Amino acid sequence: MATFRFEAIDRRDGDVTSYFIRRLLLIIPTFLGVSLLVFTLTRLVPGGPIERMLNEAAMAPQPGAQVVNTGGKGGSVLSKEQLAQLEAYYGFDKPIFVSYVGWLSRVVRLDLGTSTRYSEPVWDIIQSRFPISIFYGVVTLILTYGVCIPLGVVKAIRHRTLFDSVSSALVFIGYAIPGYVVGIGLLTAFAWKLDWFPLGGFVSDDFDDLSPNERIRDIVNHAVLPVLSYVAGSFAVTTLLMKNSLMDNLAADYVRTAIAKGMTFRRAVFKHAFRNSLVPIATSFGGNISLILTGSFLIEKIFDIDGFGLLGFESLVERDYPVVMGILVISSLLFMIGNILSDLCVAIVDPRVKFGSGEAG
Amino acid sequence: MSVSPLTLKQWQRFKSIKRGYYAALAMAGLLAMSCGAELLVNNRALIVSYEGRLFFPTYGAFLPGTTFGLGYDYETNYRELRTVFAESGAGWVLMPPIPFNAFENDLRESAYPPYPPSVATRHFLGTDTTGRDVVARLVYGFRIAIGFSLVLLLCNYVIGVAVGCAMGFWGGAFDLFFQRVIEVWSNVPFLYVIMIVASIMVPTFWTLTLVMVLFGWMSMTWYMRTSTYKEKARDYVMAARALGASSTRIVARHILPNTVSVIVTFIPFSIASGITALTALDYLGFGLLPPTPSWGDLLSQGTANLDSPWIVTSVVSAMIVILLMVTYIGEAVREAFDPKRFTYYE
Repeated sequence: MATFRFEAIDRRDGDVTSYFIRRLLLIIPTFLGVSLLVFTLTRLVPGGPIERMLNEAAMAPQPGAQVVNTGGKGGSVLSKEQLAQLEAYYGFDKPIFVSYVGWLSRVVRLDLGTSTRYSEPVWDIIQSRFPISIFYGVVTLILTYGVCIPLGVVKAIRHRTLFDSVSSALVFIGYAIPGYVVGIGLLTAFAWKLDWFPLGGFVSDDFDDLSPNERIRDIVNHAVLPVLSYVAGSFAVTTLLMKNSLMDNLAADYVRTAIAKGMTFRRAVFKHAFRNSLVPIATSFGGNISLILTGSFLIEKIFDIDGFGLLGFESLVERDYPVVMGILVISSLLFMIGNILSDLCVAIVDPRVKFGSGEAG
Repeated sequence: MSVSPLTLKQWQRFKSIKRGYYAALAMAGLLAMSCGAELLVNNRALIVSYEGRLFFPTYGAFLPGTTFGLGYDYETNYRELRTVFAESGAGWVLMPPIPFNAFENDLRESAYPPYPPSVATRHFLGTDTTGRDVVARLVYGFRIAIGFSLVLLLCNYVIGVAVGCAMGFWGGAFDLFFQRVIEVWSNVPFLYVIMIVASIMVPTFWTLTLVMVLFGWMSMTWYMRTSTYKEKARDYVMAARALGASSTRIVARHILPNTVSVIVTFIPFSIASGITALTALDYLGFGLLPPTPSWGDLLSQGTANLDSPWIVTSVVSAMIVILLMVTYIGEAVREAFDPKRFTYYE
């Protein structure tokens, strides 16, 4: 479901600075609410790390390991004392709220805890995934804006020509079909059937043995399909936004005035209408920050890219709650900062926008 | 019920947009067909004639094999019955076009599933990895997905219209309070939190709907708030008030009918996003529990078994067709309700 954003203009109280300060302060209650909600949920459920360990131990007892039957349910492989130790280790022995406060106080000190799956600090694990996600994010961002803005301009000027309808049809298909379905389609057609591109991953297994040139080729080869699926969806929105807002502006009185006074059409477009048309584009800009860093669970899973999204997915499946919470912390912070940045972009691009003015549409 | 001239005009404008109109007709056809899917895709026969009596086994309790003189008490296997009858001539069986249901593993002794598409075995799009017919999974999966979307839509819109309208109409503290609530609530990383919740709860149709509603009601609320706000400031509302109309009457008789266009234009897109969201959750394994037929499940089977390309191809094509159709309808509806024409130079 498309993430819902506020219309930045639809604000009532305060001037711009105090408005943004208020927005920044609102991060705190939001963050507390979301993290408390998820933290509580992770506690209430069966299948936590201890049960997972017990299951694993029961499934594949290590050679020589002493199986202690406590006579409890189903013959646990651990004694009661060991269980209690484990619970204390994971902090499951305290009431939810107490352990939440404990968790929160560590987070404030930038300590996200230790992964129950990898036994490594959560922050290190998350950090190690960032380069890959940032790579895809930045490439997608550049491609999206680099293609969409010019395309939107051309489509607006050549409205209702063949070029306009054909590109609309293409862009429209990309809009209707979610990125992950595009990804699966591309993977089947171009990676499996035609064998033009690798089936997934970020680099080949023999990456370290390649020469620098081959390395670049390797990365590009692996990146083509995922980037296409990232881009497919955002293309439509940005292109049509650009086209429609430019056409709105071209129909506005000030462009008519400019042309009436003898300005060339080209100059009227680029000197006057273009800048004003960037406003709606700017509203979506901040959203990219969370996209850059967090990627998409689905696309990363399809292409088996070891990025931030896949980590989030895997940690959920493995019930690695410290990592789940860590990712939630980072992605919700990024998401909120992104939203604020969007509004800031609007204020920069369009000085008329007053966040203090009355109800606009 | 009388149709206002405006509605008539909108309908005509909608009809004149061919792409959207035909997509709407096709979609209506598909919906009707999926309601009667048991008659088209089922392992129960449509009609069985045996010893001078006619049986209609599609709906209702199952008929044990003994009914037709077969030597077992569990449900009759109608495909076998057909071959039995063909040999003995004791009666006849009329099967649906696709004689499989969505849960049935059609296993053979000579080979392992997935089986490729074949007209001879009546698996027109092949089977999935456990030998279930792909067409059957697609059809019943579609029915669940569209049902899910519609229920989700209804809940979201009821909440959205009620709360949004109240926010816009009353304004003041109520408005401010819900503004803050929405502000906080919409800053939740949507998909991730849904995944967390779904991985924790045992997802059934209704719990999944509940979770999605919990995180999905804000957008309609916000749109309704804005448009109620705009309508409230118009002269006709003041006129109605001057005539002594109560708040309830103003909202129900004057404001709501004027905001219908906002609601209607968002419906197709909400349906599309409902289908997409459910499929994504199913694909990731946080959706409805197996063996519920679902497109997401087929997608994940397909991507895991690319050497059986018929699975991926069928489900991806099905998604493309459905989502394109829904989006075409949405685009046409939007244009029918918003006749703004762009002026342009040159």
